[in-house]
Amino acid sequence: MDIDGVNEEENSRRVQVRFVTKLKPPLTVPPLPIAIPSNLTRLGLSTLVNNLIQNGNHDWNTQPFDFLIDGELVRMSLDKFLLAKSISAEKILEIEYIKAVAPRKEEEPSLHDDWVSSVDGSDPRFIVTGCYDSLARVWKAAGECTHILEGHSDVIASVGVINRKGVEGITVATASKDRTLRLWKFDIEDSINNPIRIRAFKILRGHTKSVQCVAAQNTGDMVCSGSWDSTIKLWQTNDSQSDGDLVSIKKRKGNDQADESQLEGEAVSTLVGHTQCVSSVVWPQQETIYSASWDHSVRLWDAETGKNSSDIFCTKVLNCLDVGGESSALIAAGGSDPILRIWDPRKPGTSAPVFQFSSHTSWISACKWHEKSWFHLVSSSYDGKVMLWDLRTAWPLAVIESHKDKVLCADWWKGDSVISGGADSKLCISSGISVL
Amino acid sequence: MKIKEEKKKRQSVRNSKSEEVEEEQHSITEQNKLKLKQKQKQLPSHSDSDSDPDYGSPYVSDSEDFSEDGDFGGSLSESEAGESGSSGDEGVVDSEVDDGLHNDQENQSNSSESHQGVEESDSSEDEVAPRNTVGDVPLVWYKDEEHIGYDLKGKKIKKRTRKDKVESFLESADDAKNWLKVYDEYNDEEVEVTKKELKLINRLLKGKAPHSDFDPYAPYVDWFKWDDAKHPLSNAPEPKRRFIPSKWESKKVVKLVRAIRMGLIKRDKPKEEQQFYHLWGDDSSSTEKANNLSFIPAPKSKLPGHEESYNPSLEYIPTQEEINSYQLMFEEDRPKFIPRRYTSLRSIPAYENAVKDVFERCLDLYLCPRVRKKRINIDPESLKPKLPSRRDLKPYPVTCYLEYKGHTDAVVSISIEASGQWLASGSLDGTVRIWEVETGRCLRVWEFEEAVKFVAWNPLREIPIVAVSVGQEVFILNTGLGDEEEQKKIKELLHFETPVAPDDSGDKVSIASWHQDDKHGGIRLRHFKTVSSVEWHRKGDYFSTVMPAGESRAVLIHQLSKKHTQRIPFKLRGLPVSSVFHPTKKIFFISTKKNVRAYDLQKQKLIKKLETGLREISSISVHPGGDNIIVGSREGKLCWFDMDLSSKPYRILKCHPKDITNVAFHRSYPLFASCSDDCTAYVFHGMVYSDLNQNPLIVPLEILRGHTSSNGRGVMDCKFHPRQPWLFTAGADSVIKLYCH
Repeated sequence: MDIDGVNEEENSRRVQVRFVTKLKPPLTVPPLPIAIPSNLTRLGLSTLVNNLIQNGNHDWNTQPFDFLIDGELVRMSLDKFLLAKSISAEKILEIEYIKAVAPRKEEEPSLHDDWVSSVDGSDPRFIVTGCYDSLARVWKAAGECTHILEGHSDVIASVGVINRKGVEGITVATASKDRTLRLWKFDIEDSINNPIRIRAFKILRGHTKSVQCVAAQNTGDMVCSGSWDSTIKLWQTNDSQSDGDLVSIKKRKGNDQADESQLEGEAVSTLVGHTQCVSSVVWPQQETIYSASWDHSVRLWDAETGKNSSDIFCTKVLNCLDVGGESSALIAAGGSDPILRIWDPRKPGTSAPVFQFSSHTSWISACKWHEKSWFHLVSSSYDGKVMLWDLRTAWPLAVIESHKDKVLCADWWKGDSVISGGADSKLCISSGISVL
Repeated sequence: MKIKEEKKKRQSVRNSKSEEVEEEQHSITEQNKLKLKQKQKQLPSHSDSDSDPDYGSPYVSDSEDFSEDGDFGGSLSESEAGESGSSGDEGVVDSEVDDGLHNDQENQSNSSESHQGVEESDSSEDEVAPRNTVGDVPLVWYKDEEHIGYDLKGKKIKKRTRKDKVESFLESADDAKNWLKVYDEYNDEEVEVTKKELKLINRLLKGKAPHSDFDPYAPYVDWFKWDDAKHPLSNAPEPKRRFIPSKWESKKVVKLVRAIRMGLIKRDKPKEEQQFYHLWGDDSSSTEKANNLSFIPAPKSKLPGHEESYNPSLEYIPTQEEINSYQLMFEEDRPKFIPRRYTSLRSIPAYENAVKDVFERCLDLYLCPRVRKKRINIDPESLKPKLPSRRDLKPYPVTCYLEYKGHTDAVVSISIEASGQWLASGSLDGTVRIWEVETGRCLRVWEFEEAVKFVAWNPLREIPIVAVSVGQEVFILNTGLGDEEEQKKIKELLHFETPVAPDDSGDKVSIASWHQDDKHGGIRLRHFKTVSSVEWHRKGDYFSTVMPAGESRAVLIHQLSKKHTQRIPFKLRGLPVSSVFHPTKKIFFISTKKNVRAYDLQKQKLIKKLETGLREISSISVHPGGDNIIVGSREGKLCWFDMDLSSKPYRILKCHPKDITNVAFHRSYPLFASCSDDCTAYVFHGMVYSDLNQNPLIVPLEILRGHTSSNGRGVMDCKFHPRQPWLFTAGADSVIKLYCH
């Protein structure tokens, strides 16, 4: 250990620490208190822990760690941190280490013909992207396009994977600026070299302006969509023709010369309340819909009754929204300023955000919570950066600068990758992020 | 002497008649009598001088007496004494009436005669012949001597032997006439007062004339010669009783008294305090001011302090860093004197700046006119109008987050769709582009042969069409953004069957002709002159075009649904710049180079003329309320007009150093903006209150920079987002920027 070779003067500035972790055995270190110099930063602590692990396990490859003291990530030297948080250096300090959250690998970007407007990675098997060339694409891996969903006549603004239980295959919903939503069905298992072009099985008409966002219920029975006509509409996703309008289907068939039959659906209900463009919707639970709008508000809707249950007012236009974090209750939203805000709607009597992350330099185009972690977020911005956030520190964990232009969308994929699409027509996948 | 003897005889005869006692006394008291007589004579002589001019009349007539008087000589005193003695007798024997009268007369003449004689010799001493001749010396001197003085012959007068007290008392008790005796110390003898003398004394005590024979009421003899008197009767000054006080003076006095009573005149002047001269005080104090003189005292030089000492304490001595920092200061701010330490007075060098200081002093005196400056001691901050803080007026555009890039030349005009989703821009490169506001995506491009001058979205959300002016033509373009039904409507609206017969009347063809334009998918309106601006009416059916060179037909109003064109029925004065429809009323604003006129379209008459006072108007914008107008000018001035207030600008804001290219109001937020060729856009808070008494509040908020200059042009156009507090600016650097709050 390098601790032996330090002189008296530095001895005075030592702190007694004990490293603990929740990680699995090969990564554990003996829980003995050791004295370390207090001017160590994260890098120093990381090498220290790596050395400790290497002592027990000689074929250990060093890997970066992040350190938590009292639930706060260490982002400066240890003595400064202790001073800032006014933690006593007298007693033995417990430092928890976790794997550093940072992308290790940058996959080859998947090229599109136009701007990538939306991306969905909620299914670990594939990625769905919406593009400005009015096509949606399904990617199995980086550069591996399996399906092209064609049919929209305008820019696809949003895509959403529908998790339908008990239904074979995969259902995807797309929202487009041609004022329609389309539902697509395909089977990911077919592995063909050339991408299959498929058409929608259902067209949902009803919005009078461009549809801006789509989100599926977690049961997969319904989707909701927000639009520039400032309404949110709920739609059935089933492909049974019972509720569909047969007459209109016939008519559509004649007009479109479609190869296969296309259903046409109408909105089950319309949630009216927003005064401007609904830019983002989330449907995390059975009965609650969250929506963000350009009228500066986040609204909670009861999906059953269609009533607006509560509002959160921001002062800025909101572009993106996600719900997650601790007990899936925190609302993260970003908009027309470089600040990512996180509200806790359970806190009574206040509409002030509980967290504000402001490392971006331009509008925030997307934000997503990690599925499993309570603390991790990804956000993308028009400044061309994708940032990884941890609620336990105000600094971004990692900044991914793979895009050359505005990043329009970002999502997690498989729990350890960040996928993002932007105005440089690329879908970038940054993998190897060890959250948890 | 014979006379005397006769008299003596007469006296003796009479004396025989009177009592013997008196006779005895006579001789003894002769001396005394003389004395008394003297005194008596003095009394009448006094009265004589002022009131009795006729006193001497008896003796004038009595020439006999006169001669007798002259004979008196040395024995006068004796005769006198005898006479007085007789007169005294006479007084006593006054009761005899018959012969007494004559006697009295005679006696009187005698007495008066004698009186006169006495009076001739003025001194009373002369007629007295006292035994003693020592004169008026204190008799104390002779107290211890044997004699009391000397007689006329120079012989000593021996003192009488003193009787002892008991003896004299017994003597006086025995003597019944003792009360009449008086001791004469001077002559050292006892004198007995005679009866005559007693009488005299009694008369005097009663306040009568001392002599009973004196007549106070004698007839008046006028001795004065009244004619040809040379001198005034009396030389005495005017007596006071003859004084007549002046009426005017008394009036004046009354006036003064009244004034004093009313307090106009203050008699009690406050005591002037002693003026002390404040040696080190400020000369420009009240005393000089009171004199109303434009006296300006020379400024006092600062008194030397501790730092000017040759050996100041250490804290006065600047460190090297401070001295270095002085070098960074302005020449004027630098301290003139830098304290230094010397061990002794001997080591102090000569003042190195002496010549320079004198020179500068001379310069000061020479250059600065000593004129009293009217300096108002007001905090300049307090003169600023109390404006609300910018923080309270949020939101307003502050930072640029989005740029819309794609044009290859200066973007001249921009317009935002009513819902705020789309943005149309026209550029000098001959293209019109539609952008997605949210992402900055260019959606559609139209290309034209000429530079695009103006783009304007239809204000209706259901009809997403754009009016574009290119050269002499105005295109109505279908953006294809609405849904099917809307598209159908738009297609109908823009469909134009017969381009051959555009209008019924011939002369209107020359103004503007309607054509179907298949290339761009819309309508083409051909004007006869270059169109500079296109403005839509709020209902989206009418729009107006301005042709600055069009003279009387410069401003046209077109109706889209009927494909109909008409000229405005007003006479234009001046070169039109732009035209705007009132946001709510049927009012039409036309701005010429100098003025803005408001016309009522229904009544077809001029409502108001706004005198801007500007040299050249470049742009105009109407507040969504309709009562306020802002006008931008080429000289960089921005005028705010309150239509209800006056036809003169309510406020003139001079903020841009170069031409203002456009001004804009926000539709819902109290914001307005101006953009200029100096590459900046200014954002103002412009609150219009519904209360008519309250004037609009204008607060400058933000200067938006970011555009770069190109060909001397800066920001060409600015428009607000219809629903967000965002500002779009179109620059000559072919970039459109979006500034967000």
